[in-house]
Amino acid sequence: MNTADSGGSAGVRVEIEDVQSGALRPRPVPYEGKFVFLRVDDRHAGRALLRRLLPVTSGGLPSADLSRDAWVAVAFTHQGLRALGVPQDSLDSFPRAFREGMAARAERIGDVGANAPAHWEAPFGSGDVHIALSALSSDTAQLDEELERARAAYEDTPGVRVIWQQDVHQLPTGRTTFGFRDGISHPNIEGVGLPGSNPQEAPIKAGEFILGYPDETGNLPPMPRPDVLGRNGTYVAVRKIHTDVAAWRRYLRANSSSAEEEALLAAKMVGRWPSGAPLTLAPEHDDPELAADPQRVNNFLYREHDDRGLRCPAGAHIRRNNPRDATIVGDARMHRLIRRGTTYGPPLPEGVLEDDGADRGLVGVFIGAHLERQFEFIKAEWVNDGNFIGYPGEKDPVAGHHDGTGSVTIPGKPVRRRLRNLPSFVVTRGGEYCFVPGLRALRWLAEMED
Amino acid sequence: MTATAQPSRSAHPERPGRSDGVCSEFTVFTEIKPGHADALREVLATLADAADDERVHAAVRQIGTLHDARHVIFDNDTRFMFASVFDGSWDAYIDDFAKTVVGERFDKVFSHSEGFPGISDPGVKDWFVAHQAPAGVFVSAYPDLTVQQIYKDHRVEEAFEEVLDTPEFRAALENPANAELVATPAFQKLLEEASA
Repeated sequence: MNTADSGGSAGVRVEIEDVQSGALRPRPVPYEGKFVFLRVDDRHAGRALLRRLLPVTSGGLPSADLSRDAWVAVAFTHQGLRALGVPQDSLDSFPRAFREGMAARAERIGDVGANAPAHWEAPFGSGDVHIALSALSSDTAQLDEELERARAAYEDTPGVRVIWQQDVHQLPTGRTTFGFRDGISHPNIEGVGLPGSNPQEAPIKAGEFILGYPDETGNLPPMPRPDVLGRNGTYVAVRKIHTDVAAWRRYLRANSSSAEEEALLAAKMVGRWPSGAPLTLAPEHDDPELAADPQRVNNFLYREHDDRGLRCPAGAHIRRNNPRDATIVGDARMHRLIRRGTTYGPPLPEGVLEDDGADRGLVGVFIGAHLERQFEFIKAEWVNDGNFIGYPGEKDPVAGHHDGTGSVTIPGKPVRRRLRNLPSFVVTRGGEYCFVPGLRALRWLAEMED
Repeated sequence: MTATAQPSRSAHPERPGRSDGVCSEFTVFTEIKPGHADALREVLATLADAADDERVHAAVRQIGTLHDARHVIFDNDTRFMFASVFDGSWDAYIDDFAKTVVGERFDKVFSHSEGFPGISDPGVKDWFVAHQAPAGVFVSAYPDLTVQQIYKDHRVEEAFEEVLDTPEFRAALENPANAELVATPAFQKLLEEASA
C-alpha cells in the first residue's frame, strides 16, 4: 500500500470505529456484492429491523484478518427517515439536496432525456426506497454469510418489504464493462488512518467526508439535528448506470484506423489504459507492470508535466472527475468524492460490436459530506460541461450524456484532434441520495420511541 | 473562434436571477451599517486603485467565470449595490472563492453591510439570495461565450494576427505545394478573416 497516510500527524482524529465501513472502506479486489432496497410500511417494524441489523452492520477500517473481509452498510433516504418516524424538526434540519432527493435534482445533474426520472427503473425516484442495504466482500462465501444474516433480519420483519435487489461482481477480466480497471483512486483523508492512493495528494479535511469534523472551508459540514444523528455520518449518491458497450466499441472503431490507434483513443477518453496505467505516466502505450505497482499506479499530478493535457487530455474521464492540481476554474479540493463503482450484468464478449440486448453497467456510489458541493457540482460543472477546463459545452466523453452532437478535444502536436458527433455510452437507470449514519446514530434511530 | 459544441445551460431552480445563454446576472442590494459608508468607500477605493490594477485583474481572472462587477453606494450612503455577470450561476464556485484573495475582498466589502454572516459562513448563499433582486431584463451581446472562451478567442486572435504579420505566411499562401490546403472552405474562411 501507499503511505500518504496522515492519520498520525493530523490534529483531528476521526472516530473511525463509529463510521460505517460502507462509507470509507475502499472496494476490495476482486469483489462480490449486493444492493437491497427496502420499503418501511410501519415505523415500529422499521425500527425493529434496525435493531436486528445493528449487529450485522460494521464500522471501521479493513481488518488485517482476511476471514473478516465482508461488510454490510445501512443507508436511508429522506423518505426513509420519515417512514421510521424521525421527528419533523430533525427531518427539516437535513440539507436541501438530500431532502429533495436525486430525482428532484435530475435537471441540475444532467439526468434529462432518456436519463430522466420518468424513464428510471422502478422503484428509483418513486419515494418508495426507504432503506438501502449494501454488502460487499472480496469473498463469495463471506458475502453469502453476511447477506444471510441481513436477510434473516429483513425477512423476519413484517411491515418491511424488499422492493429491489441488484447483484454486483467483478468481471472475470477484473475490469469494467468498458474494459478498464477501476477502483484505483482513493482520497487521502486527514485523521482517518487509511492511506490515500496518491502519495502526492495533500490530506483532505475529514469534514469533506464525515459529519462532525471541520471541512476544507474551516467550518463543520451542515449537521442534522439532533447531534447524535449526524455525527460520523455521511451522504451517498447511489446510481445505477447502464453502459452501451457496443456503441463505445463501434465509436472507437469508426474513429481510428488501427488496433493501436483504437487503444490510444480509448485511453485518451478514459485517461488510463485498460490495465489502469495512467496516460500521464504511460503516454504512448499500456504499461501493465506500472499498473500493478500500487506505489506508482496513482502517483501523479498534472500541472508540472501535463497541464496542457498532451498526455492525458484535460477532458479525459479520470482527469475531469479528479483534476488533482491541474489548472481549472475553482479549487479541486472543494470537490473531492469517494467513488466506488461495482459492475452488474455479463460482459459483452470481446470483439463484439453489436448490442446483445443484455443489461450491463455499474452501480456507482459517490460518498461525501456535501451532496451539493461535491456530487452535484461535479456532475454539473465537470461531467456535463467543460468550461472549467476551457472547453465550454464539452462533456465527459465516457460518463457525459451526449446526444449525438457531443465533441471531445484531444490535445496533440502540431494540432489537437476534435472528435465529433459523440453518442451517449451510458444511460442513468436511476439513483437515490442516502444518508449513511454512524453506528451510534443507527442505534438512536433503532431506539426511537412513540 | 466560438465553440461549436452547444454550451450547457444548467438549471438552478432555487437561485433567482436572469440568464441569457451561458451567463446570468446577479445583483444584490444591502443596507450599509450606520456610519460605515466612509469605511466602505475606502475599501472600494483600494479595489479600484489604478496602481493596483494588475493585482485587481489577476484576482478577477482567478475567478474565471466573472464577466464584470460593480459596487455602488447610493441613497445617501445608506444602501449598497453589487451587480455582476457570471457564467453559469454565481453560487457554483462561491465556496471555492471564499478561500482566495477574491473571497477576502468580498468579505471586506460586505462586512459593512447589515447582517452579513461572512463569506465562509455556511449560510452565506442564503443571505445573498435574501438580498438579491432579479433583473427584469438581462441581455448579453455574446450569450454563447463564457469568460474562458473569450480568453481563448483573444489568445487565438493575437496569435493569428502575428502569423499574418510574417512574410513567410504570405509566401506559403502563394506556394503551389499549399494550394490544396488554401482551397479548402475552412482555410478560405480563415483568409476571409485575414483579408481585412
